[in-house]
Amino acid sequence: MSVSEKRTFLKIYLFQPGLRIWHWVQFLCIVVLFVTGLYIGDPFFTGSGSGEPTVVYPHILSMDLVRTIHFSAGYVLLVAFLYRIFLFFTKKAHRALMAPKHLWMLKDVILTYVFIKKSYPPVIRNPLARLAYIFIFALIVFQIWTGFAMYGMSNPNGATATVVSQWTLALFGNEFTLHVWHRIVAWLFFLFLIFHVYLVFYNAFLFKEGELASMASGNRWVPLHRIPVDAEDALECKIEDVLGDAGCDRRG
Amino acid sequence: MAGETYWESFQKRGMSRREFIKFSTMMAGLMGLAPSFIPKLIHAMETKEKVPVIWLHGLECTCCSESLIRSGSPLASDLVLNMISLEIDDTLQASAGEPMLEHKREIMEKYHGRYILAVEGNPPLNEDGMFCIVGGKSFLEELKEAAKGAAAVIAWGSCASNGCVQAAKPNPTHAVPIHKVITDKPIIKVPGCPPIPEVMTGVILHVVQFGEIPPLDRKGRPKMFYGQRIHDTCYRRPFFNAGQFVETPDDDAAKKGWCLYKIGCRGPTTYNSCGNLRWYGGISYPIQSGAPCIGCAADGFWDNGPFHNRLVNIPLPGVETTADKVGLIAGAAAIGGLAAHAIGSAIRNTMASRETNGNNQEEKTK
Repeated sequence: MSVSEKRTFLKIYLFQPGLRIWHWVQFLCIVVLFVTGLYIGDPFFTGSGSGEPTVVYPHILSMDLVRTIHFSAGYVLLVAFLYRIFLFFTKKAHRALMAPKHLWMLKDVILTYVFIKKSYPPVIRNPLARLAYIFIFALIVFQIWTGFAMYGMSNPNGATATVVSQWTLALFGNEFTLHVWHRIVAWLFFLFLIFHVYLVFYNAFLFKEGELASMASGNRWVPLHRIPVDAEDALECKIEDVLGDAGCDRRG
Repeated sequence: MAGETYWESFQKRGMSRREFIKFSTMMAGLMGLAPSFIPKLIHAMETKEKVPVIWLHGLECTCCSESLIRSGSPLASDLVLNMISLEIDDTLQASAGEPMLEHKREIMEKYHGRYILAVEGNPPLNEDGMFCIVGGKSFLEELKEAAKGAAAVIAWGSCASNGCVQAAKPNPTHAVPIHKVITDKPIIKVPGCPPIPEVMTGVILHVVQFGEIPPLDRKGRPKMFYGQRIHDTCYRRPFFNAGQFVETPDDDAAKKGWCLYKIGCRGPTTYNSCGNLRWYGGISYPIQSGAPCIGCAADGFWDNGPFHNRLVNIPLPGVETTADKVGLIAGAAAIGGLAAHAIGSAIRNTMASRETNGNNQEEKTK
């Protein structure tokens, strides 16, 4: 541990550039989809022009434009999600949130958050976050699925309608119910955003390990006396190798 | 009369071949067929016997019959007197009681496997169907019996197609659409409350003149009439695309005829021919008269209330509220809770660091 002795922090390269780009693309998509979706479901401002629609149409933020933005963002979200699935197979760190090994700490984390316990063991991926991300991925799948089901019905005999819409409508009973569910789930993203942002700041301030910056830089700075118990979920090799000079994922 | 072809009945009435051809061509036009279909249609009308139709009424309001008799092209009288052989229809026929039931039995026996069963309304299943009794028998029983010998079944209106008001929550009589009861026959669903008159006659025409059911979509509705959303055929669609909406049914925008989406129009999720065929010979349709579509041809439309709101009540027990209200309240509650949590955490950390500092000082003094 000759090198490590000089340092007090171990740098763990947690998020590859692809994953960081995906995260922010997805963030933008979800924000755009949420805002435009709120408008589409219930247009909270109406056209300022009072003339004929053909005259007014090009000059204002029309429903058609808002819908086009919504649909485009939906396609981007779909592609981003497929890319995330691809990433899942490329690095161990990208599979970290699916590793059930450290879910046992969930209780400790929750008890700490509600001030019953003093602290929980150091972790690289918080077990509560792991659960939340699986949940949010499920919601994204739901939104993409229901979204394209509704989108497909603009041409009831088209390919999208055949592949996605028809059986989905049969499942939900009727199309309007599908719209209602799409909106209910959209609000869950809003709630997730609040908790996600708060907890990221909370952890960044509490542990000062670079939690907040990690989705920009990709790195987490772990103090050597607080080596995460689940560090190996994010590393391609044994933690001993990282701490020793034979390190595999250590850069600088 | 059943048992004679259309050409025979024309001859009987002393009408010329020319009139027969003209009539056939008009029928082809009414059904929206390409000119290449006209010879086939004429052939069918020369060779096919008039189809006997048995029309039953279950739990319903007779709005389908009311709609049918207002059909402009073809006239309902033409349909009933010339095109089909309407053997049984409680509402339209003159006879009643035992003679009528006897006639029904006869027809069902004589034309077993050949008659068309048209069902208006639906059967209630609770209490063995005792919520709807016709001629001393439950409608459920009558329906099953009549369906046995039917060549095809037409489900008139939203009642028979998807349950309509009597199947809306909480559905005390457990009324079900007829396809839950009749499972072994082809069913043509003609939803709408009521369906458009010309749609009704058009469906019958197709069945009786081609001897086969029209092409159906996945839900069992004729594609030619239910293939498009009202929204996509609506003449007010340009106002939607431009974002020009009516805010209240009596505002200036309403007078200008802007889009009714904001006051709850269900056009975007309803499949019907209101936008292109319109009603009563193309006079008007709900949206044209300034009322938002309530989606009467859609499944379970009664349960998606209120009709005059885009954001409907969500299935939360005990409260009537929309997704947006719940989302905003939950969001505000979350932000409040997390703010309290942040303060709590700050206090805890301060206390913890004081404790450590105190320990350190104690160690130093030692």
